[in-house]
Amino acid sequence: MADIAVGNARGAWQDHASADARDTWRPIDARRALQLALAAVWLLDGVLQYQSVMFTRAFGRMLAASAAGNPAVIATPITWDAHLIEQHGVALNTIFATVQLLLGIGIAWRPAARIALGASIAWALAVWWLGEGLGGVLTASPSPVSGAPGAVIIYALLAVVLWPADRSAAAPFTAARAVGTRIAKLLWCTLWASLAYFSLLAGNRTAQGLHDLIASTGSAEPGWVAALDGRAAALLSHQGLTASIVLAAALAVIAIGVFLPPPLARATIVLAIVVSAAIWVIGQAFGGILTGSGTDPDSGLPLLLLALAYWPAVARPGPRVRPAATTAGRAGERSPA
Amino acid sequence: MLPAWIPGTFAAVMLAVAGLSAARLVLAGRSRRPSGTDRDVDIAHVLMAIAMAGMLLVSLRTLPAGAWAVIFGGMTAWFGRRVYRESRGRPARVLAGGHHVPHLVHSAAMLYMFAATASPAAGARFAMVGTAGSGQQMLRVPVVALVFALVLAGYAVLDLDRLSGTAGRGGVRARQALAPGSAVMAGDAAAAASARGGQADVAWPRVLPAGAGGAAPASALLARGPVLARDRVLARGSRAEYVGGGEAGSRSLLAPRLAAGCRIAMGVTMAFMLIMMI
Repeated sequence: MADIAVGNARGAWQDHASADARDTWRPIDARRALQLALAAVWLLDGVLQYQSVMFTRAFGRMLAASAAGNPAVIATPITWDAHLIEQHGVALNTIFATVQLLLGIGIAWRPAARIALGASIAWALAVWWLGEGLGGVLTASPSPVSGAPGAVIIYALLAVVLWPADRSAAAPFTAARAVGTRIAKLLWCTLWASLAYFSLLAGNRTAQGLHDLIASTGSAEPGWVAALDGRAAALLSHQGLTASIVLAAALAVIAIGVFLPPPLARATIVLAIVVSAAIWVIGQAFGGILTGSGTDPDSGLPLLLLALAYWPAVARPGPRVRPAATTAGRAGERSPA
Repeated sequence: MLPAWIPGTFAAVMLAVAGLSAARLVLAGRSRRPSGTDRDVDIAHVLMAIAMAGMLLVSLRTLPAGAWAVIFGGMTAWFGRRVYRESRGRPARVLAGGHHVPHLVHSAAMLYMFAATASPAAGARFAMVGTAGSGQQMLRVPVVALVFALVLAGYAVLDLDRLSGTAGRGGVRARQALAPGSAVMAGDAAAAASARGGQADVAWPRVLPAGAGGAAPASALLARGPVLARDRVLARGSRAEYVGGGEAGSRSLLAPRLAAGCRIAMGVTMAFMLIMMI
């Protein structure tokens, strides 16, 4: 394998891509894999932004609706922005779609990854305010099931914890590499604890609160999604208080999960993945993408990616140390990691 | 309503992909490319790009939807067979990063787009939403379109990462460092480049004899010192091979990076079309 075979001086094109395929696969670093997943989500967001409905006045009205219930200081810029988009929908939406497409491409293109991740944080914060009304967190009853605290703020959080820097030499999970273990755990705890808090707010505790929320999701969805939502809504009918408490308890357990020993932490991350997937499929119906009017996959998918970034690293044994004849080491003893 | 210039732009990109892929086929034929090459991939790129351009703009339509469905059915079976052969004794995650799986996904997505169009008039007026003279096209089982769009976006970013990563740094540098007339296993070249901190191409003005016989470890060769980057070795992933001097344009056209670029463009365009047709 290590030989250099001297070939014909004339040379010829030999495309051995097939052979490459058999030999080139190398495992991608976990953080890079998650960065690429984030890039794919941004790419998908960009493509979704090119949908026909986004070039109509309906998009501006959709944005304006996110101002409702917010304090004036938050709502006024949203309303102004929504009116601007209604007036210049084609030009502005083309810019929005292209920016998101470029963010995805930039994160995937290694030399541009840092710039793109930084830009994605700035873009996400702007969209969180002007496009999502801060995810409704300042309104009367934001619900984690309907997407609070907003999908894009989780994109920003992902960009922060997946930043290509290594502060912690022996990070217990991927998200701790860039910001350190303590800050990463605090970010996780804050996010999930806030979700637990939201689910206990008065509007979500009502007997029909969750039922109405889920029932309204499936109206324009394909048959099986609508049926799934219908069944879930029926199950939750008049069970709003119980369901909210159970959901809040699960979210609180997830929030403190990162402070537990690795086996328990792993179990809570599995719970986080299950809850995120359930919220994404049942509560958010894939962000309404299947209706042809979804602007993003909503918060379920990024929450799932975030959970993967907190998966406790498996402690791998170090390479075998070959004992020297003169050392006292025993054969087969492993070096410290 | 989707402005007509958006599908128009994507269609133009697809025509460029078709042209480049066709040029690759012609040039590869002229350079007596040996059997067992990726001619099938270039053919697939040409056909997919022409089909997508026709879906995006009515004026670029060539064959009826049924004919394209048959073509992409065959293509899916072909790449399915190649993936099956590639998969022997390999774990699924290795297979997912393999060479033919993205082409299988692309073919299957094309088949789905042509076979699952809900509009009964699909064969007659098959073009994207918003294009002049076209009708709204919808896909049956739209969740399949979403899954395809996600997978295609995933492969697009994976290709971008590969282009800008291993092959873009160690590989490119190693290939510029290696000698004319040599064929090198790039695993060794890249390893050697990486052992030198990925700087194998930097200021190594030393010429290796093109006709020199014998064999030597690549790492030893690179460690020996500077190599003049007069001719190039293509180091893509694990394998590097000498490409004859001159005909720089031909080399650029035949470079695997170009094929990967075409695949990225097609993946993004396909994801766009799938989302538009949900």
